[in-house]
Amino acid sequence: MTWFFVRRLLGLVVTLWVVFTVSFLLMLAVPGGPYSAERNLPPELEANFKHRYRTDLPWYEQYTFDLSRDLTGDLGMSSRLQDFSVNQVIKEGLPISASLGIFALFFAIVLGLSAGIVSALYRGSIADFSLMSLATVGIAIPSFVVAGLAIMLFVFVIPIFPAAGWGTLRQLVLPSLCLGLAYAAEIARITRTGMLDALSQDYVRTARAKGLSEFMVAIRHALPTALLPVVSYLGPAVAGILTGSVVIEKIFAIPGLGWHFVQAALQRDLTLAMGLVLLYTVLLYTMNFIVDLSYGILDPRVELK
Amino acid sequence: MFGRTVFLIVMVVTGLAAVAWAVYGSRLAPADFSFTNETEIATVDPALATGQPEMRIIQSLFEGLGRQSPKDTHFAPGAAEKWEISEDGRVYTFHLRHDARWSNGEPVTARDFSYSIRRLLDPLTYSRYAYEGWYLVNGKKYTLASELAAGDPVEIEMNLAAGVPNTVRGELLLGKLVRREASAAKSNATAAKGDDAEPKQDIFVVEIDGKERRFKVAEATDRVPKDVERCRQVLLDFREVGLKVIDDYTLELRLTNPTPYFLDLLAYYPLAPVNQACVEKYGSPDWLRPEHIVTNGPFRMVARRLRDRVRLVRSDTYWDRENVKLNVVDALSVDDRTTAFNLYMTRMVDWDTVPPAEVLRELLKEPRNDLNPAPQLTTYYFLLNTTRPPLDDKRVRQALSMAIDREEVTRVATGAGEIPAYSLVPPSMPGYHKQECKPFDPAAARKLLAEAGFPEGQGFPRIEILYNTDQAHQAIAELIRKQWQNNLGITATLRNEEWGSYQDSIQQLKFTVARRAWVGDYMDPNTYADMFVTGGENNNTGFANPEYDKLISDAATEVDKTKRMELLEKSERMLMDEQPIIPVYFYVSRNMVRPWVRGFYNTLQDVHPIRDIWIDRSVKQDDPRPNEYMEPVK
Repeated sequence: MTWFFVRRLLGLVVTLWVVFTVSFLLMLAVPGGPYSAERNLPPELEANFKHRYRTDLPWYEQYTFDLSRDLTGDLGMSSRLQDFSVNQVIKEGLPISASLGIFALFFAIVLGLSAGIVSALYRGSIADFSLMSLATVGIAIPSFVVAGLAIMLFVFVIPIFPAAGWGTLRQLVLPSLCLGLAYAAEIARITRTGMLDALSQDYVRTARAKGLSEFMVAIRHALPTALLPVVSYLGPAVAGILTGSVVIEKIFAIPGLGWHFVQAALQRDLTLAMGLVLLYTVLLYTMNFIVDLSYGILDPRVELK
Repeated sequence: MFGRTVFLIVMVVTGLAAVAWAVYGSRLAPADFSFTNETEIATVDPALATGQPEMRIIQSLFEGLGRQSPKDTHFAPGAAEKWEISEDGRVYTFHLRHDARWSNGEPVTARDFSYSIRRLLDPLTYSRYAYEGWYLVNGKKYTLASELAAGDPVEIEMNLAAGVPNTVRGELLLGKLVRREASAAKSNATAAKGDDAEPKQDIFVVEIDGKERRFKVAEATDRVPKDVERCRQVLLDFREVGLKVIDDYTLELRLTNPTPYFLDLLAYYPLAPVNQACVEKYGSPDWLRPEHIVTNGPFRMVARRLRDRVRLVRSDTYWDRENVKLNVVDALSVDDRTTAFNLYMTRMVDWDTVPPAEVLRELLKEPRNDLNPAPQLTTYYFLLNTTRPPLDDKRVRQALSMAIDREEVTRVATGAGEIPAYSLVPPSMPGYHKQECKPFDPAAARKLLAEAGFPEGQGFPRIEILYNTDQAHQAIAELIRKQWQNNLGITATLRNEEWGSYQDSIQQLKFTVARRAWVGDYMDPNTYADMFVTGGENNNTGFANPEYDKLISDAATEVDKTKRMELLEKSERMLMDEQPIIPVYFYVSRNMVRPWVRGFYNTLQDVHPIRDIWIDRSVKQDDPRPNEYMEPVK
């Protein structure tokens, strides 16, 4: 068990280093810099700006500087959001993205699991067919379309939710529903497959033979096994959902982290872009780690080495 | 089984806690007035900001010698109560009001302005608007050390001790520049680039108290030759700059040229004062945090949440606080224009700064009492790369311009009532007659193109139109491509690049035709004309004409206002004949403002100081009485 932890931790360090290096080289290759702006500067001032952002140094010096700074946990100053350090940007945005994400996940899991279980139990029925068609549609429709429709319906036609913003429970409902919908659809499909698989297992037949009700068989015996693929899907999904969704945050004006992922790259805010990439790496890695741990809890056959 | 249950319970509790935090952790009481302030602002530092969203905040927080009047954005008295201008228009003497206060209660003095203008000019402040201070005698020379010459009095700023805030100045040594030398030891940076063509003159030999000492800008860890001292920077002695503190409440500014629009510049935020004690105590950017910042404007910043809002509260130390009507104001950062519009339509904000173009087209079909597009000081035009054949031929450039049907562009591709442009300088510049290029005339355009050797477009190479990625720009470029195809028989292709790459391509002249829009900095044609001098940073066309340069420099020194305008008119005439650029249309403002919002005027620069806005509670949505904003524009 200890060895398992140590090995994973080493893996994280190596992964972070590789991600840092690749991202650094990619950013180096992109034209423009944080000093690009509509009004061009006299060459002397432009050189001054380049010096400030150290882009006048040879790449290996920039690399060592950035790497050693990031190693201390200080991710540097954002070059576009000039009044903030990258750490402050993350500190302000991550909790908001995360709480929106958790709300969306809750919704996704509840809806997805119920739909998946019902579909599996009534396989081939109209309920199964319509739920799975809905799920397919849910996966196929991009979230900005869902969000647009939801706003038209629940903001303008039936005005029960505010159009955008952050700070009240009512403002949270629409964005998390829109964000969670695609995940719910995916979870429903995975649950259904997992349940069908589990329901045909010998131990389920044994449970039935003992005379348990079909409901108890499904919930107590088949579901835990069927959950395993859902859990491994949820790991990376949680990492993605916690760091925020660009589209949903933009449409609902939610001050999370998602928007920064795209804008940092577009505006050549290299420090912020790097900080976010590293954050995402850590989260993704941690989530996969938790998935592995939860396997040990959910599935008695798995032993962590 | 026990493990599973615990696992589940932990997950549920975490989730609920997060939601509870999200809902109750970040509540603010509602504001009196909210508006959508486009994208997240880059900074609230007056010296560093550049954009419109930043301006809306900064002009509420800081007040310069003057402020922008809400009706016409001209200079209105601010921290200065009265002023005198010398006969030759070069010396301005300002008398500061005695009741102007910082938010910490201390008086605003002439010394604050001296500090702030020096800070703006200092290259280590990294201001993009440093040139706002270059109108002062020697202002430019203070910013650009490359302009220093032997014999100039200089100040040498020594390096800072470790741990000192980055806004504090190092110890200053005053002396006289004897000469500049190239350092023998080349730095790693230049060696690696292999640029040994011209060694940088990076050693300053300065005479201090009769002794020659040698300085190089270097950090404590950098290697320098043995007899050279490290310093932070070498600048012109600030006492040479045309700024004099006569006493606490009297400030004298001396200009290189009589600049008729100088007062208006002083009302613009880059020249606003900042509080030295605050800036130096916390360093940059920490002094800008709401809990630290000291301001002198009509509002104080009490909260700033990234990508959410900036909350402003009326300052109780502001000298004219009786005339500030709003108590609490929220500037919301909303990136998506449709979202901003939704917020406006559901009455969560009273002012939508930029509603989406496609919505405007629909809204304008019916008369409304909250939308009144008016001409703005912004021109949309195409840059032509005059260094690339066949665009190096004037006739080709004219033909391209005459083959564009601008009426069709504003009718089909834009849609908020934009105005077709035949000149670079927008209309309604007081005292100025704009000079126009030739109108839409496909036959004449074909003839010109034939004269240039391309009858019916035969043999004309495929040209490329570059624009930054945006649907609106794409629609315009598509339309113009079609017009060129139909009217001239030439083929154009489109290329879009996102902002950073597009800027790079433009600067390095890596384009044939490129779109650009220019917002006038001040109400004077010079803000457009001086872009196109030879080698100008924003020329970006390769256009170089000594005659043009002379017109611009003559206009700068001309005292007589009429003659000055004539010189500028001549320069635009030349520009419109040579056509390194093709004007396409002038922007119109597109604010949506609720009828109960008062003190909000349509202005050419689209500036609407929050200081002067107030809410008239007696007005309802369908009130027939127009507010100031809906009054017809002259």
